[in-house]
Amino acid sequence: MRCRNSHSGLLVACMGLLSSAAFGDGSVVDKIYHPYVEQLEWEVEWRAVQERKPPASNEARVATHRLGVGRAVSEFVFAEVYVIGREGSDREFRVDAWEVEALWQMSEQGEYVVDYGLLFELEKYRYDEIWEYATTLLLEKEVGRVSATANLSVIYEWGDDIADEFETAAALQARYRYSQALEPALELYMGEDTLALGPMVQGLARLGSRQALRWEAGVVWGLDTVTADYTLRAVLEYEF
Amino acid sequence: MIRFYKGLFFAASLGFAVAAVARTPVFELEIRDHLFVPEELVIPPNTKVKLVVYNRDSTPEEFESYELNREKVILGGSKANIFIGPLAPGVYPFFGEFNPRTAQGRVIVE
Repeated sequence: MRCRNSHSGLLVACMGLLSSAAFGDGSVVDKIYHPYVEQLEWEVEWRAVQERKPPASNEARVATHRLGVGRAVSEFVFAEVYVIGREGSDREFRVDAWEVEALWQMSEQGEYVVDYGLLFELEKYRYDEIWEYATTLLLEKEVGRVSATANLSVIYEWGDDIADEFETAAALQARYRYSQALEPALELYMGEDTLALGPMVQGLARLGSRQALRWEAGVVWGLDTVTADYTLRAVLEYEF
Repeated sequence: MIRFYKGLFFAASLGFAVAAVARTPVFELEIRDHLFVPEELVIPPNTKVKLVVYNRDSTPEEFESYELNREKVILGGSKANIFIGPLAPGVYPFFGEFNPRTAQGRVIVE
């Protein structure tokens, strides 16, 4: 195993950070990543997250859209770039950020007790001097037809238009591999302003040799007064 | 004394790790002329196994199986390790996504 001791240390450090630091602000509901890379794969991805805030808040609806293009650059690394657009009930849609990310698969699937990898993300807002960098530990465990996934993130925000701070977030998913076309799951998201739980379904439709359409749709409900009443999310990926 | 226990703990951990790797049965599979050879692999039940897949063709192939929950691209002229199981007795089909009509096989657990 490559650098097994350092990876174990990293896992312990991340778990420690999550337990000791404050959770991140803002919603952390988004796609849950899996620690796997498919070599030679290209991907075009659209994903959207729409929050419905409590009626008492001034912002009743906020939606974030991401359009990305990604490619496996090696057997174990997948890189993707996104443009990010946001809209709300009080503002028009506009593209207001970009993001680059790299996913590093660090173990062969099924080789060890848990499969693991790392996700690195860098986001820059277009009209504000705000930067955001995140490192996320990706863990997955297969038990029969159930796959349990954890995304544990440490985030740093900085810039002239935001208070510099560290944040943490966690997203957990239990997915039942019923069939390739339909896999139901339950998801839990935790952050400073997020505590949400809800179902998700995903599926894959083959379009030919080495071509597939992967989709996800889910809704999570806020479990406290700070989290949006409900959040809808969707992903559509064309893989080739 | 503490150093002795640390050494003992390290040696025991290393021993367990080596033993765990050594206990994993290894099976070999080849991709030749866009076919899996052999087409059928028989593996023991409730046991994790390591599948070493050699791609003898010059073009890439992908070992794919929803039933085994595995997808792995193997470049032409190279090999890949795929860990599967522990599995219940049964038949688990797999195919090559680059040549799905010809590259087909089964893992039989019995």
